[in-house]
Amino acid sequence: MRIVIAEDDALLREGLALLLRAESLDVVATTEDAATFLAAVDKYEPDVAIVDVRMPPTHTDEGIVAAVEARRRRPGLAVLVLSAYVEQAFATDLLAQGGARLGYLLKERVGRVEEFLSALHRVACGGTAIDPDVVAQLLARTRPDTRLERLSPRERDVLALMAEGLGNTAIAQRLFVTDGAVHKHIRSIFAKLDLAPTDRTDRRVAAVLHYLDDTARRS
Amino acid sequence: MGAENTGPDTARRRDVSARVRAGLDALERLVGGLGTAVLALVALVLLLFTAAACLVGVGLPAVPYALRVLRLVADRERHRLSRPGAELPGGGPPPGSLRAAATDRGVRRELPWLVTHATLGLFLGLLGLVLPINVLRDGSFPLWWRLLPEGEATASIGFPVVRDTVGALGVSLLGVGWLVLVLFATPALARLQEVPGRRLLAPEPGGDLVLRVAELTATRAAALDAHVTELRRIERALHDGTQNRIVGVSVLLGAARRAVARDPAGADAILERAQSAAEEALAELRAVVRSILPPVLTDRSLPDALASLAATCPVPVRVDADVPGRCAASVEATAYFVVAEALTNIARHSGARRATVLVRRAGDRLLLTVTDDGHGGAGERLGSGLLGIRRRTEAHDGTLTLTSPPGGPTTVEVSLPCGS
Repeated sequence: MRIVIAEDDALLREGLALLLRAESLDVVATTEDAATFLAAVDKYEPDVAIVDVRMPPTHTDEGIVAAVEARRRRPGLAVLVLSAYVEQAFATDLLAQGGARLGYLLKERVGRVEEFLSALHRVACGGTAIDPDVVAQLLARTRPDTRLERLSPRERDVLALMAEGLGNTAIAQRLFVTDGAVHKHIRSIFAKLDLAPTDRTDRRVAAVLHYLDDTARRS
Repeated sequence: MGAENTGPDTARRRDVSARVRAGLDALERLVGGLGTAVLALVALVLLLFTAAACLVGVGLPAVPYALRVLRLVADRERHRLSRPGAELPGGGPPPGSLRAAATDRGVRRELPWLVTHATLGLFLGLLGLVLPINVLRDGSFPLWWRLLPEGEATASIGFPVVRDTVGALGVSLLGVGWLVLVLFATPALARLQEVPGRRLLAPEPGGDLVLRVAELTATRAAALDAHVTELRRIERALHDGTQNRIVGVSVLLGAARRAVARDPAGADAILERAQSAAEEALAELRAVVRSILPPVLTDRSLPDALASLAATCPVPVRVDADVPGRCAASVEATAYFVVAEALTNIARHSGARRATVLVRRAGDRLLLTVTDDGHGGAGERLGSGLLGIRRRTEAHDGTLTLTSPPGGPTTVEVSLPCGS
């Protein structure tokens, strides 16, 4: 897995590279702004890009703009967006075209190395990684009298992990239940929320997030 | 009248001379008023013409010129009526169109003045001209009446026809009467002539309050702007500095934990880096806190805070701060940041070898002067820092003056109301 990092803070950039290289991952370039990042994407043809949202010169959303451009130049490039804060509205915009090969995480998740690495792999393999904060924001914004109320507490847990982009096995591991139990919960959730069942996790994430966003907007 | 230690004669003489002076002064004012009254008459005729032309549909282009003439004449009268301590400020630029003029409060007050001054004012002014002439003419009448053709020798008022010396002396008595009138009535006439101008051309009551409100609104907006800019700066400092450092610490700790089992020596090196990152985060946090409100300013005094500021400046700075008592906290903070910004600019751009900070209190104002011996040429566009400082200063009703000729020296002078 070839990785390019775009992060303007030197300590974080080197820390990330150090951590990934220690895991025997192939960090082919570390860049500090959008222009050098795009040049590195052209030059090294990476599989994954880890991109900070705020970069020079304006420190607003250079990272997102650069990531979109990088994906246009190199379709199939997996992008993991790191941000100092996460905003649910931003995530739903990001996922509007589907969540395949896309991640949106708080920067400090990197410190939880196992989870970060699994998110990285998930994105690299065509999946989605959405920060738990985004999912929590969405769930907090939905009104109590929606169909979500029909979910059991355990089903809500499964829904949240599903929204983060986790696959059945990962969800089962997190919740200490069997794959079969997770499968059953998911079927029940989709039925209760009137969603078309799908086994592709990226579509599943988009569907769930879209559903949550819709409910939140209506309330 | 100051007659306590002088005789009653002296007092009377003074009384008379004061009366004469007042009369002459009043005559002068009346004749001066005659000048503006003639102008007013011309302007009135011009306005009437323009109005008539507007009625037949061709006068509109002339409206701005007519309005300008009106404002010009009114300003002339304002200037005439201004006395030291009681100035009538000019009306400012005239409205440029009929619609603007219709709502312009100045124009709506100048028009009735124009009509009154062009008529009553003109009449009174002519009186002021004619009365002294009559004094001379009738007073000296016995000396030259015989030169007049038979039957045409009359007093200035046209009658009676004088035929002998007694009659001529009677006319000269009339001259004395004119003189008495000049001495006693003209001051009242002059005042009467000035009344419309003083009433209608003075700023409206509360008018300067309106200006003040406009000024306050502007500086308040600037203050809020400066406030938002300041918040953005703090957010940026916390976000890109401190927060990133702490995330870095977290990332390094994560990496170290993964390395502990595999490579203990490597893990230790990573932990070392994590610790220094944590220390950096603390240092940055301290800097941010200091940039919000320096603790030394709240705990000690402005001179102490300025001294510690000077100590951190790479250019040697002499601080001479003699400020008895304390000013309002926000004023002291502004003074502090003015000096901080000035010293930052000196260190970055001026090439100066030394700088001086002078702080004095004059009455209820705090005066700051920061001077350096650098190459000058500093402008507010070079760095937005100075602009922020200016906004902050003006929000406190203070003033900031930057003098920086090419070749130096550069001086920043700030005056702030103490607010305490």
